[in-house]
Amino acid sequence: MRLLLVEDHVPLADELLVDLNRQGYAIDWLADGRDAAYQGATEPYDLIILDLGLPGKPGLEVLQEWRSNGLSTPVLILTARGSWAERIEGLKAGADDYLTKPFHPEELQLRIQSLLRRAHGLANQPQLEAAGLQLDESRQSVQHKGENVQLTAAEFRLLRYFMLHPGQLLSKSHLAEHLYDGESERDSNVIEVHVNHLRRKLGREIIETRRGQGYRFNGAIP
Amino acid sequence: MRSIQQRLSLGLISVLLIAGLVLAQSSLWLFDRSLRGYLQTTLQDEAQALLGAFERGPAGVQLDERRLSAAYKRPYSGLYFRIDFADQTWRSRSLWDRDLPRAQHLGLQRELVDGPQGQSWLVLRADYQRFGQQIEIQVARDYTPILNSFRQVQKVGLGLGLAALVLILLLQRVIVSRALRPLEVTRQQLKQLQQGQRNQLDQNVPLELEPLVAQINHLLNHTEETLKRSRNALGNLGHALKTPLAVLVSLASREELKRIPDLHDSLNQQLKQIEQRIARELGRAKLAGEVLPGAHFDCANELPGLFATLTMIHGRHLQLDWHAPGQLRLPWDREDVLELLGNVLDNACKWADSRVQLSVSSGADGYTLCIDDDGPGIEPERRQEVLSRGSRLDEQVAGHGLGLGIVRDIVDVWSGTLQLTDSVLGGLCVQINLPAKRA
Repeated sequence: MRLLLVEDHVPLADELLVDLNRQGYAIDWLADGRDAAYQGATEPYDLIILDLGLPGKPGLEVLQEWRSNGLSTPVLILTARGSWAERIEGLKAGADDYLTKPFHPEELQLRIQSLLRRAHGLANQPQLEAAGLQLDESRQSVQHKGENVQLTAAEFRLLRYFMLHPGQLLSKSHLAEHLYDGESERDSNVIEVHVNHLRRKLGREIIETRRGQGYRFNGAIP
Repeated sequence: MRSIQQRLSLGLISVLLIAGLVLAQSSLWLFDRSLRGYLQTTLQDEAQALLGAFERGPAGVQLDERRLSAAYKRPYSGLYFRIDFADQTWRSRSLWDRDLPRAQHLGLQRELVDGPQGQSWLVLRADYQRFGQQIEIQVARDYTPILNSFRQVQKVGLGLGLAALVLILLLQRVIVSRALRPLEVTRQQLKQLQQGQRNQLDQNVPLELEPLVAQINHLLNHTEETLKRSRNALGNLGHALKTPLAVLVSLASREELKRIPDLHDSLNQQLKQIEQRIARELGRAKLAGEVLPGAHFDCANELPGLFATLTMIHGRHLQLDWHAPGQLRLPWDREDVLELLGNVLDNACKWADSRVQLSVSSGADGYTLCIDDDGPGIEPERRQEVLSRGSRLDEQVAGHGLGLGIVRDIVDVWSGTLQLTDSVLGGLCVQINLPAKRA
């Protein structure tokens, strides 16, 4: 999952980057509203965390610009302005969730998880479930045929992305775009390696290879 | 304060009465004077004619009866004379048994002399020298018909004057009420302002009212601007405090600190206190309260947005409804009302199993807001305790809402009351009664 964090307070951004990285998200960080307006619309993010008091351009305007240009990426507003009038304004501008500062890191994680699930039509599950697999996002492990299978960070990222897009054909470059932030090297061979690891742990049939097209997640069909 | 209409009427009546009386009386007096002046010349002519009727007869000087006016011969005809020689006096026959007293001085006499049959005589004395003798001629004429017609004129004039006064007063009432109509319009607008139906006065008023209206509008703008500025400043302050606080909260939940539970707990507790304190005080400082007379909350406009936000926050498993009479406007600041409803509803959503319902109604003496949920509710004996503490109702549900604290602050500012009762939905009903604002 690739996230965009727009936050101008550097210490908070540092904290969030560390925290969200640990959660297995690839994150790009921007501090200026104008940069965010451009990059949010051009890069394929899965979710955007947006502060409202930004230099360059106010967060609400950035959000309105995205929405009027047809960007449908879920946006979570993270702000110190917590009055109900401001929350309503945020929602009207097109936000999908609203979290006020100060917040607990766990609260933010839960909101991100549920927002991602909601965005992929998997509303209201306490855990990510798809095709017979249950992913425990806090412990980064997966429940498979009644067994708890531990995953490495890279495997966890990949499986989570597959589970949010079950049955879809995903090319290697698409996966690379959504699993790594804008600054890391994108080597599609690495993805191949991780897919093989997942197959070894969860069974060959779980991920299907379409030659020349990419991968398809079928899950553990009983 | 008496009304302007009354003051104007009273002033007008007294001015008109005084002016009318003075005018009528002085014109009568002037008319009387000029009439007497005219009569003086006719009386003088009469005296001349009498003198011309003198002739020297066999028995000395006598009057030629044929040249005398007939009016001198008919008794009490209204025309009289008396001619005094040094040794004798002639009187006209018309005097009959009456005597015309000798006048003191020459010319027209100032005083009228009483005559018979209620007559009042105007008397003229003229002295001549004829036939070697001193002749004193007095001519008198009855003045009563003229006095009578004066009285008539006075009566008619009084009647006309009174009628004119009534007419003028009526007209004045109409004119004044017309002229004061802009005042009435402004008064109505001020009332609407108080009831939150408008937020500015109409600028299109007569010159005299313009400074007042402009000043009121300026004050309204100024108050609104000040409120906006201070809210903005508070928002900035909140931002400046809460963002570092968010960093601290994040730092406090690091793994390294979790290994020292005492320190971790203590840090978290203190941070929570700071957070609550900041939120509560900033929330209280942001309240507009009663400063903006034009402020209002349009239920049909604002509630859908609020409910959409609540649905977004609490997920779609809750059924949220609101009922409010169409066009209902609550006469308080929009942000304050949103803050009040948002917090109470947020609380209700946290506790509810499946339904939350808001109903707003207006009565003769104020407004009632009822927030119902179908959650577990609160036992009656604990309700008072919960209210008096102003404590958080949401302690057991994760979240950062301030519960009833800010709600109580808002209700207190509006001098309303907060009650907890059983809900028809099975859970708790938070009932807020708000008094109508004085118009």
